[in-house]
Amino acid sequence: MKTLIRAVAVALVATAAFGTAAYAAGAKDKPAQGKSLGDKDYQWNANGGEKDEALHLKPDLANGRDVYEVCAACHLPEGWGQTDGTFPQLAGQHNKVIIKQLADIRALNRDNPTMYPFALPDQIGGPQAIADVAAYIGKLKMNPEPGYGDGKDLEHGKKLYKEQCARCHGDHGQGDNDKYYPRLESQHYNYLLRQYQWIKEGKRRNANPEMVKQIQWMSDRDTKAVLDYVSRIKPPANLIGPKGWKNPDFE
Amino acid sequence: MIVKSTPTLTALVLVLGLVAAGPALAADGKQLFADKGCTACHGEDANTPLEPGYPRLSGQNAEYAFTQLKDMKSGKRNNGLSPDTMKPILEEVTEEEMKALADYLASLPRLMAATTPTSGEGRKLYMTKTCVACHGKDGLKPVLKTYPFVGGQDQKYILTQMMDIKTSKRVNGLTNAMQPVMHLVQDSEIEAIAEFLANVK
Repeated sequence: MKTLIRAVAVALVATAAFGTAAYAAGAKDKPAQGKSLGDKDYQWNANGGEKDEALHLKPDLANGRDVYEVCAACHLPEGWGQTDGTFPQLAGQHNKVIIKQLADIRALNRDNPTMYPFALPDQIGGPQAIADVAAYIGKLKMNPEPGYGDGKDLEHGKKLYKEQCARCHGDHGQGDNDKYYPRLESQHYNYLLRQYQWIKEGKRRNANPEMVKQIQWMSDRDTKAVLDYVSRIKPPANLIGPKGWKNPDFE
Repeated sequence: MIVKSTPTLTALVLVLGLVAAGPALAADGKQLFADKGCTACHGEDANTPLEPGYPRLSGQNAEYAFTQLKDMKSGKRNNGLSPDTMKPILEEVTEEEMKALADYLASLPRLMAATTPTSGEGRKLYMTKTCVACHGKDGLKPVLKTYPFVGGQDQKYILTQMMDIKTSKRVNGLTNAMQPVMHLVQDSEIEAIAEFLANVK
């Protein structure tokens, strides 16, 4: 009995710790939280805020390089992320996608406790810095060898991709800058899997509700197959870097 | 009736007020650190742990220390000696006193342990496994005030914390920022990182 009580207590404590956003940063560091998935009147990609400001600023690539130095600790100087999916590949991602996600993370519209401190203005700067770093990231050539799934169900994945994903994310996973839809091709499989699960469960609070609704029926097999397929699509050759490339900006 | 009882009530309020003000007046961190028995395990300078495995506290970030004290009292932090040793002690410490203790600890100089030469492997891992991003160069420049200094920490203590965060035995505070990257680090690598941190000059 005592063990049971203890187990329940531990579970409660764990739930409390993970259930809240748990940003213990002082109130002064903490921006007001916007509406998120499930809130009344939540609007995906609502206008306003730093996202709009950053979009209308002329980017400074040299400053973008300096800002990116903070990002490089995890996303690597090349922007290639980790093939195990711990950190996503940023290289080649659309300008508007980077701007939106960065603005969302620091406005606490997307939970990312690991990255949060590095998105704060005192680390990287204001909207101009967001514009600069997004432009820098967009110019980085992509990882030619991203992390893949097991490769066992690719025909099924291809079929699902065409039916379910291509309408928004493009016929080869290229995304759509104007619509803030991310490039998925050659993104690390495990990263895609994690984000996809979080979108499905509503844990990724800045998700597009249309997608949340659309993917509810997909089974584990469907999910793995479609994400494995998209992680293996090669972007156009001019977007890919050579194997083993090291970013000279950080040498 | 009401008028008659007023002086008594006033007196009572005054007395209660004084009793309540007692801890506030005594909220002198240095005094509390001795009175509450902290020195017994953490040393008079808050930097000489009684045994390997106990943390050095001097010079820690105040906000981080305050959170840990509150979390050990409430049970949110329940790894290691937190539930059986620290929790009962903290039952007797108010939140205001914990704040005073945290501020006192933060005001003390960060004294480094005697250094022994290390292989360099730990330093390399500290840089490449992304530890440096949050805890700063040599573990001495945490990126947020709510993150701990880890440079110069007791080797066994810092090793245990890394393992406990990796395995989710410790889940309080901002460990949810660190846990998702801990699978990048093998257990043997954690040992090397702990050795490096303990011997930061």
